[in-house]
Amino acid sequence: MTAETIGNTTKIFKYSFPTCTNEDILFKLEVPVEIPYDGSTRELVQRVINMFHIPVYLEEELNEKLAHYISEETKDFHNKRDEKLLNQLKNGELNVEGIVKNWEKLFKENVVEFAEQKGTSDEEVFAAAYHKLVHSPALDTILQVENSYAKTVMTMLKSRDEDIQKLTKRQTEEMEEKMRLLNAGTTEEEINALAAKHFEEQSLAAGRWDSQLDALKHTQRATHRAWLMTTLEQYQGETELSTPSNSPLATFPVEPTLLAAPKPRLEESFTIHLGSQLKQTHNIRLVAADMLDLCAVNHDDNGAAARLQPALALYSGELAGAVLLADSAPRSPLLRLAAGSTEHHFDDINTQLRRIVDALRDPAERRNLERAQQEAGSGNGGSNNSRSRRALRTGDVYITTHSNLDVHVVFHLVVDDSLKSGDITSRHPAILGLRNILKAACCNDVTSISIPLLLRHEITEEMTAAWCVRRGELVLKCVKGFVLEAAGGGGAELRTLHAVLPASAPALFTAVQSLIPTVFRVAGPLRAHKRSDPL
Amino acid sequence: MRDDNGDKYVFAACTYFAKNHPGETCGSNGLPLTPSSISILGRAQRLLNIEHPNLCTYLDVIRGKHERIIVVTEVFGKSLEEWNTKFTFDEITNIGLQIAKGMVFLHKQDIIHRTLADDNILVDSCGRVKLFNYGMYYMTGGGSDVPFPLGLPRYLSPETILNGGGPAADVWTFGIILLELCIGKLWHNLKSGPILRRILTLVHAANPAERIAREHDCFEAYKLVPDYLRNVIEKCLKIYPSERATFEDLVAELSQNNVKQLDDVKKPRGLLGCKLQYLYYWWQLTGGDIQAELKKNGLIKNSPPILSMPIAILLDGCTIGGKSGALFDRRIAKYSLDLLKARLSHIPPQDFYPLMHERRKDYDAVALPKIIRERDTEYQFYRLLWFQRLLHGYPYTTQYIRAEAEVDIPPLVRGDVWAALLGVKGDIEEQYERIDKETPTPTDRQIDVDIPRCHQYCWLLCGPSGHRTLKRLLKAWLLTNPQYVYWQGLDSLTAPFLYLNFCNEARAFACLSAFVPKFLHKFFLKDNSAVIKEYLAKFWQMAAFHEPELATHLHDINFVPELFAIPWFLTMFSHVFPLHKIVHLWDALLVEGPSLPLFMGVGILRQLRDTLLDSGFNECILLFSDLPEIDIGECVKESIEMCRSSPRSISFRRFTNEPATKDPMDVVEIPLEVLLTEISPRISLSDFFSLICQDKCCVVDIRSNLQYEKSCIEGSVNVPYSGVHLGQHDLKSLGVQPHKVITDAVKQKKIIVIASAEDETAQLFSDYLVKCSVPRVCILHGGISALHSHVPSLFILPLKKIGTK
Repeated sequence: MTAETIGNTTKIFKYSFPTCTNEDILFKLEVPVEIPYDGSTRELVQRVINMFHIPVYLEEELNEKLAHYISEETKDFHNKRDEKLLNQLKNGELNVEGIVKNWEKLFKENVVEFAEQKGTSDEEVFAAAYHKLVHSPALDTILQVENSYAKTVMTMLKSRDEDIQKLTKRQTEEMEEKMRLLNAGTTEEEINALAAKHFEEQSLAAGRWDSQLDALKHTQRATHRAWLMTTLEQYQGETELSTPSNSPLATFPVEPTLLAAPKPRLEESFTIHLGSQLKQTHNIRLVAADMLDLCAVNHDDNGAAARLQPALALYSGELAGAVLLADSAPRSPLLRLAAGSTEHHFDDINTQLRRIVDALRDPAERRNLERAQQEAGSGNGGSNNSRSRRALRTGDVYITTHSNLDVHVVFHLVVDDSLKSGDITSRHPAILGLRNILKAACCNDVTSISIPLLLRHEITEEMTAAWCVRRGELVLKCVKGFVLEAAGGGGAELRTLHAVLPASAPALFTAVQSLIPTVFRVAGPLRAHKRSDPL
Repeated sequence: MRDDNGDKYVFAACTYFAKNHPGETCGSNGLPLTPSSISILGRAQRLLNIEHPNLCTYLDVIRGKHERIIVVTEVFGKSLEEWNTKFTFDEITNIGLQIAKGMVFLHKQDIIHRTLADDNILVDSCGRVKLFNYGMYYMTGGGSDVPFPLGLPRYLSPETILNGGGPAADVWTFGIILLELCIGKLWHNLKSGPILRRILTLVHAANPAERIAREHDCFEAYKLVPDYLRNVIEKCLKIYPSERATFEDLVAELSQNNVKQLDDVKKPRGLLGCKLQYLYYWWQLTGGDIQAELKKNGLIKNSPPILSMPIAILLDGCTIGGKSGALFDRRIAKYSLDLLKARLSHIPPQDFYPLMHERRKDYDAVALPKIIRERDTEYQFYRLLWFQRLLHGYPYTTQYIRAEAEVDIPPLVRGDVWAALLGVKGDIEEQYERIDKETPTPTDRQIDVDIPRCHQYCWLLCGPSGHRTLKRLLKAWLLTNPQYVYWQGLDSLTAPFLYLNFCNEARAFACLSAFVPKFLHKFFLKDNSAVIKEYLAKFWQMAAFHEPELATHLHDINFVPELFAIPWFLTMFSHVFPLHKIVHLWDALLVEGPSLPLFMGVGILRQLRDTLLDSGFNECILLFSDLPEIDIGECVKESIEMCRSSPRSISFRRFTNEPATKDPMDVVEIPLEVLLTEISPRISLSDFFSLICQDKCCVVDIRSNLQYEKSCIEGSVNVPYSGVHLGQHDLKSLGVQPHKVITDAVKQKKIIVIASAEDETAQLFSDYLVKCSVPRVCILHGGISALHSHVPSLFILPLKKIGTK
């Protein structure tokens, strides 16, 4: 498609002119010129005149000759190249079919006129409908309905847990009983058989509950989506909204529960300015909390308050995201959290993760292979054979989307034990992964993001106070650079950055709190100008 | 005229997405890769300057969110595709001729069209032809910055399909278009694949044009085409590019056979007679929204971002999953001027043609802040027309331009006005051409390091074309000023000129060359310490003159200007403020002259006054390391006020471009070592004389009582220096009467001039007054004796003290 694929050439421009004294003796001049030439020929002439001390009366002539030469050579360059191509075509040396297919594909995949006519996808239709509804008077109803769906799931989860607990208790008793009789009549085989039986019972129960839960969620999702679509139709016709007949609202009357006061959290917000000349304003909120708590939606109240913001922003350009540290597989708490209620909009988290694993296998393995080869080439290969089997490496990121959490997007940053070390640099893969995350966040309209500031979720013993402050400073400084860099990418502006510290160390919070004004330019309080008279 | 439906629309917009860089997020220099949309934006600037009767003018290129590019151009008539009537051969010849003329112009500029098609050739009811959006191939770097293929399959030349193709490919396309005009649409119902295959098989044909006609069963129709036209078509549709005619040949050939003369269309008067760029600008100010119409036409679709979230990012930046951007839609959205017409409907016709010597009425808007005036449609309408007039008459209208620029400068013509204010004239292109900007020099390395850090938030300056041009400008300036060296900051200083003259390198250079001697004379010497020292000392004196309390505080904590103000003055603030603020600052600078920056420095200090007064040394360092937001409008206003209220001689500097004065009445020059020790500036005798005449000063005579009573300056107050307790910073200790006189003078905003017999006591006393927070204190240069010898008439015998009571 582009002409640039074929290299440029260098031609020699020859010029000769007679000396002043003798007409027969010629000065000869040779200037190499790159064809196609992308500068101004008149400037080139000036350089030539200066360099070779050519008399100025030749300037006009030289201008003309060089311009002509370059335009002829450029034409010739294009024509020769094209002639060669056309001759190849004539002689059947080219893969015509391949070229045509390639063009066809390009047109088909990129230009509307040639693309297959396809309507808006179901996903988008539903997204538009939902977005419209949550920005209508129907919002309240929707939130209540969703909340009660979530409650049903919670109830079922609770009875599952109780049921399994009961089963476990019974089994333990039974086993203890058996054990007591071990030397008086029961044999080891019998105990083994019992253990096997217990295990089978456990998995049977778990399986039964799981399938029940799945079925429940499936029905909820289907019903909810159907109801939303019909509601939208009604809404467009009339303004009155009816509660769906099969709505769980019927069975769960809205009971006015007391709003549990949220747990007091250590937190402080800063407004910061970034950039040396043009200042961008961002907010940094320092929070001491468990990352998962920040992700979770509080179901205890009627849901209205907690669900409101995520629902309103779900299909907007102002998404909320969080960075979770992960091993190669996502942490189980998020799984539990996400499974706590029905995912009405996206695939449930297990499906998403399975899809990620499938999609990642090839590119990641290819990459790992390349890296291994590189390492082997540089002489330090084969050092970590065990690691090469893992598809994902430190610094890789996988992303899941959620509608039932307090954040819409979760970036899982793969990390390893090297982060325990006190002296990681800004080139550490986890930091680079963070950079990719912030860039992706900007490009995908995530305007608020939570980051584990220490790149660790919990305090462990090697994390001394000095360690924490050093790590905090490193991450803050890097994030500062990344945010500035990402702002040039042309996506949404990252408005709020939540820097999350482990909840268990209040002293740490104060230390990091005093760190922020040294790393960032914090906006001072607005001062009214007093025009004081100087006497 | 322009009232039929096709002419209702004046401009049009199309939009597309630039390509995302796959994987690797850093370039070889370790800096992030420039987004493709930035590169496109930089290249497209050149298109904005193209004007030709057969080309639609480009009006704007907008970079939207997520790598979206919106191109706004002039539009008129209907595209060939929309004209359903068949054209006569004469008409075809004429249309062909006009297209070819446009193409000759483009090829001369080294712009390849590549996307010539029936939907971007516009024809109006009079038969005039303009090419639309001809810069697609050029601005996208030959298509490499966009994910989609350029052009339509049926217009691609065989060599283009084989990934070759130079300017001659446009000739082929032109041939196809002429052929289509003669025998109707080609390959009408075919898909892209078969069309391309057919074009490729044409290489085996001896006469592709005939072959195409036969393929379409139009051979008979083709035979009916006049010989000359068939000849032209066949010359275009040669397989080998080298055999094809050039557009120059085609213009010559077609004009021989062109019989149709276009009727002269009377140039529209009133609003539509204004420059298209102005119309577009005003339309935007009126609230015209390019994106809204695009959205309405479905050309901008907002898909929820959460649905296109990628599923993983590998460490090397390789993104997996996530949907790619929208498809390229060739459709355009058209805009009419109705909005603007309605807004300006009440303006009488004569106002469109302002006369230079007419008494001008004042607009109410003048009182509003500059930022608001810049958004006022009507105000900008009047200002732009007026400035257009004045600029037209440049350089003969220089003084009018200066006078108007004092009020404000319309942003749209700021580049032109600045050049006029700096006195740029003559054949600057040729002068610039003569400078060698390519040969490597030792400073290149430093320049290369600095440029990617210079005002990079500006999309024009952060792209490859911005970087290249900035480097050329800097090299050119260094080469033409061999007495100077590259000081870091020169890049920032050049940036505003480049920003305003992005496609006029020569003028940017001429502005820079004129600016430096005027404002930064000798600042870029290899050893510039004396110049900087003098400048900072003067700045410090001005601070003490206008902000004595603040200056005293900063003195006390030893926070000297060397610690913060060097980049301010070395770059004329262009290193510390963003471009949109610099332009306002410099608007004032260019009008007021070289002493204004000193007062701007004071203006900035004044805005931070409260904070500074509460801060110690460390806080001050921290505060200035990253300057907080400054209200530039306010700062400019106050600095101009300070500048105008200060006598000229107190801001005198030795290192300026102005000729040295020899008149003892005007001299205030003192050796640098002395200047560095003095807190308060010196005033020249002539300035003093004029202050006395206007009763704008209060003279404090600090000679002894005895000397004072012999003869003194009329109206002066005597405070014998020997009686002053320098440690006691309270004016009351000077005695009742001097206290009253000085406080009154301060209240009346008079300038307090210290007259003494010797310099040392004058300095010490002025320092004392500054410490007492007395503003506007200066010292009479040469003291009483000089004044006495030059203006003896000012002296009288003092009245008896009783008389003043």
